Amino acid sequence: MSAEIEIKHLQKKYPNGVEALKGIDLEIGKGRLFALLGPNGAGKSTLVKIMTSLIRKDSGEFRIGGMNPEDHFARLRQYMGIASQENELDPGEKTETLLRFQARLFGMSKKLAAERADELIRLFRLSAERAKKVSALSGGNKRRLHCALALVHHPRILFLDEPTVGMDPLARETFWSVITDLNEQENITVLLTTQYLEEADKYASDIALIMEGRIHFAGTIPAFKSLVHPNPQASLEESYIMYVKSIISTN
Amino acid sequence: MNAACQILVVRGVFKLIKQPAAPLTGFGMSLFFLLVYQAGIGGIGHLDAFGDAGYLAFIFPITIISLAMGSSAGAGQTLNADMQSGYFKRLYLSPAPRWILVVAPMLADTLSSVLFTGILTAIGAIFGLPFQFGILSVLGILFLSLLWSVTLCGFSAGIMLRTGQRQSAAIVTNAVFPLLFLSTTFLPRELITAKWLLSVSWVNPVTYVLEANRFLLAGTSPKQFFVWGTVILVVSSLCALWFALSSARKIRV
Repeated sequence: MSAEIEIKHLQKKYPNGVEALKGIDLEIGKGRLFALLGPNGAGKSTLVKIMTSLIRKDSGEFRIGGMNPEDHFARLRQYMGIASQENELDPGEKTETLLRFQARLFGMSKKLAAERADELIRLFRLSAERAKKVSALSGGNKRRLHCALALVHHPRILFLDEPTVGMDPLARETFWSVITDLNEQENITVLLTTQYLEEADKYASDIALIMEGRIHFAGTIPAFKSLVHPNPQASLEESYIMYVKSIISTN
Repeated sequence: MNAACQILVVRGVFKLIKQPAAPLTGFGMSLFFLLVYQAGIGGIGHLDAFGDAGYLAFIFPITIISLAMGSSAGAGQTLNADMQSGYFKRLYLSPAPRWILVVAPMLADTLSSVLFTGILTAIGAIFGLPFQFGILSVLGILFLSLLWSVTLCGFSAGIMLRTGQRQSAAIVTNAVFPLLFLSTTFLPRELITAKWLLSVSWVNPVTYVLEANRFLLAGTSPKQFFVWGTVILVVSSLCALWFALSSARKIRV
């Protein structure tokens, strides 16, 4: 299994003194659906923001698809799809226009952009919203459009930061069906951060547990469960809570 | 032009078409100035100090200057709206170079400003506006308008990016506004009686921009005013562009 993401000794301290990452080492294999778990403020979003070059690291290094982000800025933008925690939508545009524009921005011809917009509208069940302005969409539909925009340019790796926040159960089901299909059929690597542990349990192949800027566990879900919980049938959430509590009590 | 830049400029233009309040207000204000001043005090154009061209050629440059002032905050406000909605982050994560994200709305604003200057010049021509060098005068006026618009758009976008506040995009307009009245806006130097105002007008860059336009229109200003006006606008537009781009590096999304 070749590593799609390699992170070595990554450190980040914010100007206010908060040490968000204290030397992260992590490898994520190609085609894996990887969930990064941890309590609020653990460093998950900081790690994703550094990898997507939204903020700078202090030290350490990382490679994505074998590429160093400092040397391959434009290529990496094409390689990655990013859906952040907050919706990043232009409220004055229509659903279809926004998808087409995004495709054009990533270098697609008008014809291909129109086809891709159609495909994503169908895939994310946004047909009824096609001609609606973003400002008129429901919260769940905005979230779906936000995720669809991350997929416009056929990325090889997807960063999903709390992607299903605000979606109703049906929308979440649709979303995960799209993501798992992409992961399985097109071998796209997915790095997910989430607080919905039942989603991670159901869809992820690997997890890493990050707390106070350090990785405490990285491996498969069964390995994590067997390490933590005496009951092999325990859910990921039960195992997670038990593990986090034990770390807090040790500290 | 880079494909991403083209797409972003087109987006900026469509934004202006969808929300035309700023450029139309600027255009309306300028047309109002032109018509009202010509109708109200156009009679003084018969005085020797105005030369043979009359008051229309004298007052016309101020309408071009006020035109760009009316819409110069547009680029800053577009950037601010994108930041507030979070959409700027999506653009920031695209393969488009970051400087284009700032330059594209500025270009859209500048194109709009030059377009309306063209319309205003055509209206002026209908009313008898002279063009000393024919088509070269028209092109010269459009060029000066372009530089003036880049200056205002660049500074207003840069200030907005540094402060992050929508209202701050209008700071430049507010700063330039008094300069219009401390210049040869309404009367030639020969008719300004206050010595302090004459002194201020000599060091006021707006004076040279106005006189550069007057050289192109009626030829009532000496050529060196045209040269100085052009140099001032080239330098100020380059400074504004540098200011906007250096402000773009400070963006935290």
